[in-house]
Amino acid sequence: MIDILNSLPMYLICGGIILVVALVCVVFMVRAYRAGIAIGMDQKKLKYAVTSSITFSILPSVGILLGVIALSGSLGTPWPWLRLSVIGALHYETQVAEAAAEQVGMSQLSASAMTPQAFTTIALLMSICIIWGMVLSFFFNKSYLKKLQGRKESGEADAKNKKEGFGDTAMTAMFIGLVSAYMGSYIGSFVSGKGMFTFQGDITPIIVAVVSALVMAVFTYFAEKKHMVWLESFSIAGSMLIGMIAAVLI
Amino acid sequence: MENKIYNDDSSREEFIEKYDKGTHFIGRLSTAVCTVLFCGAPFVIGIYLGAMPDLSAAAKGYLSVGLVWTVSSVVEFLVYTPMLGAGGGYLAFITGNLINMKIPCAMNAREIAGTKSGTTENEIISTLSIAASSLVTILILACGVMLLIPLQPILQSEALQPAFENVVPALFGAMAYQYYRKNLKLALVPLVIMTILYLFVPSLTSQTSLMILPSGALTIGLAYLSWKKKSGKEGRS
Repeated sequence: MIDILNSLPMYLICGGIILVVALVCVVFMVRAYRAGIAIGMDQKKLKYAVTSSITFSILPSVGILLGVIALSGSLGTPWPWLRLSVIGALHYETQVAEAAAEQVGMSQLSASAMTPQAFTTIALLMSICIIWGMVLSFFFNKSYLKKLQGRKESGEADAKNKKEGFGDTAMTAMFIGLVSAYMGSYIGSFVSGKGMFTFQGDITPIIVAVVSALVMAVFTYFAEKKHMVWLESFSIAGSMLIGMIAAVLI
Repeated sequence: MENKIYNDDSSREEFIEKYDKGTHFIGRLSTAVCTVLFCGAPFVIGIYLGAMPDLSAAAKGYLSVGLVWTVSSVVEFLVYTPMLGAGGGYLAFITGNLINMKIPCAMNAREIAGTKSGTTENEIISTLSIAASSLVTILILACGVMLLIPLQPILQSEALQPAFENVVPALFGAMAYQYYRKNLKLALVPLVIMTILYLFVPSLTSQTSLMILPSGALTIGLAYLSWKKKSGKEGRS
């Protein structure tokens, strides 16, 4: 079974879909770049946005590649390759694939128990569970953004100086809330993960986050105080890498 | 699109409107095409394997695991769309990996470019950022899959596992420094409250993606209060 799942037609089906998505990305990128130049944005800034995003994405992408490897043992390589190249997220795919395997009567996700029908059913379930972001985006992206925009404009008309700037503050606040939810969960699972207040949980995520934050502080110091602005593009990726190395060392 | 620079306000305005309309058109078209492709793929594979998906098992599976993800999809859409803008939003929902990559990536690009949310400049930067990020993932995965056989022993080696299990903490540690240092007082409240919550209800740690919502709402609320106070003071003086 695993040989069929790793056969050439499977690679062609999945690779073809990935190619379509890649083309969509290229179209959006070229359009945005041209529009940026047309409205008089600094070309350097546009290029900077692209290069910093590229360096930023390399490490997380290697992490995602590991997800493909993890799932390829039971689902073959092409299908996890497709799922993780597009739409999916690492934590999602793994979880749903396992749960879907349970539904088709497999005790766990494994290549030896896999049948063609079990595979296609698992594949379908992996697809539909997470399709809703796209469906919502298709129907409501335009009206939702317009509504937000409209609210902002009327607010500005009311009290121009007063209302200005909260959109930005709100986004920063949302992100702080998000980071805090994760940070809290690392502390929580260390302290109470294996029984309340036993301090027996996994401490590695906390150490990794702290190391990564410290390295980030060093990068920021050099970028701001020593005016090494080019460091900014590498600071996040560099901090992550050193944080991850710390996980291996402890 | 002609390569022309729009300097006067009215033609610039007109251009932006046209660009915006185009973004929604292409965004919707590609979202529709990709939805069909993603959902159609299991059936195409079914033809090849000679076994169609078992729809009743899929429906049961959906009810048991899918509902949670449906809720989180709705939350993601509501929270991230304003962060990403139109072009970035369409692309990010097609290409996925929002929380662990696309969102921080776009925030980072925005920070570097210094654009304000809601502006066309920001829309363009975030589209560029998401597109570049998606292409990197596609490229690395394609290369990785080709090299999979020689790479497998290295990547799966016991010694490296902790590193790859901690990609997300490493990312959030770095981002936390970046955001906390400028807003220390604001950050302290959600951090303490969320930590206490997790300490007493440890099972919530597996639901972190849902916990983002109350945590984010709380922080926005606090930011609004302090912002209102500040702008009130400025208004009086």
